[in-house]
Amino acid sequence: MDSLRALRIAAGTELATLVVLLVNLATVHWPAVSSAVGPTHGCAYLFVVILTVRQTRTPRTRATAVVPGIGGLLVLRRLTRVPRGGQPVRRAGSPGSAGSGR
Amino acid sequence: MTKFLLSVHVIAAIVAIGPVTVAASMFPAAARRPLADAGRDLAVLRSLHRICRVYATVGVVVPVFGLATASSLGVLGDAWLITSIVLTAAAAGVLVLLVLPRQHHILASMPKPGPDGRGPARLAMYTGMFNVLWAVVTVLMIVRPGSTTGV
Repeated sequence: MDSLRALRIAAGTELATLVVLLVNLATVHWPAVSSAVGPTHGCAYLFVVILTVRQTRTPRTRATAVVPGIGGLLVLRRLTRVPRGGQPVRRAGSPGSAGSGR
Repeated sequence: MTKFLLSVHVIAAIVAIGPVTVAASMFPAAARRPLADAGRDLAVLRSLHRICRVYATVGVVVPVFGLATASSLGVLGDAWLITSIVLTAAAAGVLVLLVLPRQHHILASMPKPGPDGRGPARLAMYTGMFNVLWAVVTVLMIVRPGSTTGV
């Protein structure tokens, strides 16, 4: 699996698990859900940060990865739209894959 | 729920740390071997390095679910656990700051075999340190000195 795809999955998971956690917090508040999904969200968050650091050297993009919840999606947006040097991007390799996550 | 968290923690430890141990241990030996068939040997080295890198990332799951397990067991303050956390951090540091960059360095200089045999030997030492560190952590997790729960 190439790391951009891994990043896409991690970014989606990061946001999805956060949504599950918040919905759970606002509604039924099952402890089982929070203790299972909480660490999953933590892992997804760390994966996003690690994969981003490995993917790019740009400090701004790296800093974006640390944003909770949507950091991964913001990084993907930066990586696929604003590459270094400003050339048009790796989009070509992954058509129709813009819809990461929700 | 603790059982679920602990299961994920243990499975992740086996699946992620196991391959890193094996691949990292094989790397220095493979790097030292004279390049008989350059293309093939280089491909082997690349795969070993890739295994180490990828599974080191997957290994993030281990401490995250470990901490979750510990907090749901209420043992976060125990001395054996704090020791394990420190040792795990040290092992992760050795892997990320010493082992992986040196593997990368050896790979980068590979097509022409390095003049000194020092690089792989150093790397083997650091890999050994990593292995000892996490083996100690595993023993601590099983023995849990001072703990009143089980075993």
